[in-house]
Amino acid sequence: MAAYRKLEARSTQLLEKIRENLEQLNEKIDVMIEIQKHGTHEIPENLPEALDVMTLLSLPDHLRKTAVTLCKLGEATADEVSEHTKRARAVESGYLNQLVVMGYMKKERKGRKAYFFVDKEG
Amino acid sequence: MGKIIAVHSYKGGTGKTSLSVNLAATYARKGKKVCLMDLDFRAPSLHAIFKKQNLDYWLNDYLNGICEINKVLVDVTKDHGNDGKLYVALANPSTEAIRDMTAKDRKWEMKALGRLLSLRSALLNDMDLDYIIFDTSPGLQYSSINAIVTADVVLVVTSLDASDINGSQRMTTELYDLFEKKTGILLNKVIAEYLSSEKEQKKFNKYIKNIHSLPVLATIPCFCEVLRAAGDFIFTEERPEHPFTETLEELATKVENF
Repeated sequence: MAAYRKLEARSTQLLEKIRENLEQLNEKIDVMIEIQKHGTHEIPENLPEALDVMTLLSLPDHLRKTAVTLCKLGEATADEVSEHTKRARAVESGYLNQLVVMGYMKKERKGRKAYFFVDKEG
Repeated sequence: MGKIIAVHSYKGGTGKTSLSVNLAATYARKGKKVCLMDLDFRAPSLHAIFKKQNLDYWLNDYLNGICEINKVLVDVTKDHGNDGKLYVALANPSTEAIRDMTAKDRKWEMKALGRLLSLRSALLNDMDLDYIIFDTSPGLQYSSINAIVTADVVLVVTSLDASDINGSQRMTTELYDLFEKKTGILLNKVIAEYLSSEKEQKKFNKYIKNIHSLPVLATIPCFCEVLRAAGDFIFTEERPEHPFTETLEELATKVENF
């Protein structure tokens, strides 16, 4: 019985891990779709130092909306950003991940959720 | 929930400070709780109007992360609050402070934006204020764009000067629209003969509609009495019956419902 419980716990852990990996894959695909849609020309060669207002002004409209919302929220999940922008979660997830790729924000996982934030300390 | 109002303009000398101060005083007279902030760090002016020179903390210190906002706020309710409450947050007028503020880098400006954004919860939620009014510096520069991003409503003060009209038009499409801000125009220093009769006024309104795509929230005639006050006192407080005061009252109501 004890061996069975151990096995059950192990398989739950594994399933959880698989789920997390799938979510991460999903996000990576989102980024790739974004880059394909809008091209890579927006991604600067040198990583930018800061997401300041002049940088916000230079972003394309769809990304600016996401970036300004994250500046206001400080730290947020794609879900929370989409509540403010009234756009679909998957869309915001794509934009947020693209902003991470561009070096304007950072992403950190806490448990199953991915949090995005503007890195103020560099 | 209160509102944050940024008073901005393309050029200097349009009357931003005068209108910010009088709008704040008008709200205070209506019983509102207001905080007026001097965000023109290159040319501070509110300290002169409110006659405060030696403060322990300035708005500069809050943005620099040296102190919290409650240390910066000066309660001027006793002299200017009327039925409401009026606080001011002043920019440090010393040359050293101005030099320091003009030499900030992008990273500092990004943090400053974060500090301005947190005023919403500190002042509108915790202190339960009705209005925060930002008196900004003119044109496209960090401190004013930070203020615009933070604000709920942007009031653009413009004269009928050709360069001012052109600049305001460009800022509409290249700044206010990009941040999806509720923006209204305050036409200031309008020559009285344009408004002398109903016919003239109609002609004038038609002309303005052609040049500004944004709603005009106030048309403020050029009053010599306001100029004569020379910023030495708050005009709407001293002259409650004057047409300038009336215009400001109408503006306050419009912004309230904007």
